[in-house]
Amino acid sequence: MKSNVRRIAVSGALGAVSVVMALTPLGYIPWFGGAALTIMHIPVIAAAILEGPVAGTLVGLIFGVTSMIKAAVAPVGPLDPLFANPLVSVLPRLFIALAAWGIYALFRGKLQAAAAACAGAIGSFVNTVLVLSALALTASKQLSGAFKVDSAGGLVQVLAGLAVTNGLIEAAAAAVFTSALISAWRGIEKAHGRSRLADDDK
Amino acid sequence: MKGLAFYSSVSIGRYVDADSMLHRLPPAVKYAWLTAVIITETMSSSLWVLSASALLSLLFIRLAKLRCAYIFRDFFNIMPFLAVAAFFQVLITWPGDTSFVIVSLWKFSLTARESLYIGLMVLRFAAIMAAVGVFTAVTSEGDSARGLEDLLSPLAKLGCNVRALALTVALAFRFIPIIAWELETIVKAQASRGADFGTGSKNPIRRIAAWFPLFVPVTIRALERAELLAEAMETRLYGSGPATRYTETPHTSCAAALIVAAFLYTLLCTTLPLWSAYMFNL
Repeated sequence: MKSNVRRIAVSGALGAVSVVMALTPLGYIPWFGGAALTIMHIPVIAAAILEGPVAGTLVGLIFGVTSMIKAAVAPVGPLDPLFANPLVSVLPRLFIALAAWGIYALFRGKLQAAAAACAGAIGSFVNTVLVLSALALTASKQLSGAFKVDSAGGLVQVLAGLAVTNGLIEAAAAAVFTSALISAWRGIEKAHGRSRLADDDK
Repeated sequence: MKGLAFYSSVSIGRYVDADSMLHRLPPAVKYAWLTAVIITETMSSSLWVLSASALLSLLFIRLAKLRCAYIFRDFFNIMPFLAVAAFFQVLITWPGDTSFVIVSLWKFSLTARESLYIGLMVLRFAAIMAAVGVFTAVTSEGDSARGLEDLLSPLAKLGCNVRALALTVALAFRFIPIIAWELETIVKAQASRGADFGTGSKNPIRRIAAWFPLFVPVTIRALERAELLAEAMETRLYGSGPATRYTETPHTSCAAALIVAAFLYTLLCTTLPLWSAYMFNL
């Protein structure tokens, strides 16, 4: 029987990290021109890599609900109220873990640092693409107003531009952070030793 | 990275041991009303609904025999952040805002719609904060996991491990103050060694690199705590046999009625626009 104690504990702790990231400046790296790179989805990817897709999806759920409540309670920009819709803020976040875990599993445990980097990049990019698609599907009218474009084609162009510029930088940042985190943690884990019962299960 | 110190003084997430009407309620009822207040406060934009839910939160504080000052102690600390959010509202012109202008300074103006929005934002924030604060003050750790398990029990028939799910969410709640405290410690330690967190640097790589000494240790410490917790749970033989419960939730008709009431309140508030449109058309 595979013990799920570790899965519960790790998803709980990483869920808390993603909430703290959303509430403090830790989740946003200040970028040029007042924009910010978000790294809030990295706990989700880390949970998927360390404990599998179920744990990752749980952390993704916690992340999505936090961003929904935050967008509804204290919006800071004209786009934020759109995130109060769970179809935009919660649903896309459930797929980050699945994508990241799938990529990580392709490496079959070899080249862990590179595998974690790829999983981070793909997980992050899936997040960007799905959130922007959900925005385009649910709120095309408000978006067209905010970006001052008048046709559906123009809106798709603006969103695709956002996905390529912001999305790629975020994916690169996620790759670096995930790889560093997983390497550091695996190193510590090796020196520290895992708890006994979980090892017997494998 | 200024202004981090207040995250350690967050009273949300602390259980206050006392004996009140709210403390004695079954946890599922507390969850139902917490959800009712959060859903109505986030989904509705009607002034009436927002005020009703805010009054409800105040009533909960009274019933739990808590002091308002205790619940709202953190509110004053978060005020600067609300002020920043309000400032952004003024700065950004909402598309299609045609309401009259109250104050106008150079290019920026405060319109009636913006000021209403700021007011509603503060009201929402205070009400949700009060609801969450009261909930954590009257629900112990064990109870909050138990209540979630009771609420999700219909899912167990579909083969979901509801117990593990409930425990994960409860753990995340309880880990928040701990992680916030870890972050504060690490930020202060880095700042005292002269870290500037990349602000002011024009090099994009350096900006990202400056975040490493914050993000990696905070997450590693969280994982270490998770490891310790997993070990502690395993030594107590969690998950190695059929689960038993220390306390069984009594099923009373009063509790069921309160849950139904919470559900009806939520339904009524979220469908209020439909109702009022119907009434005015009559």
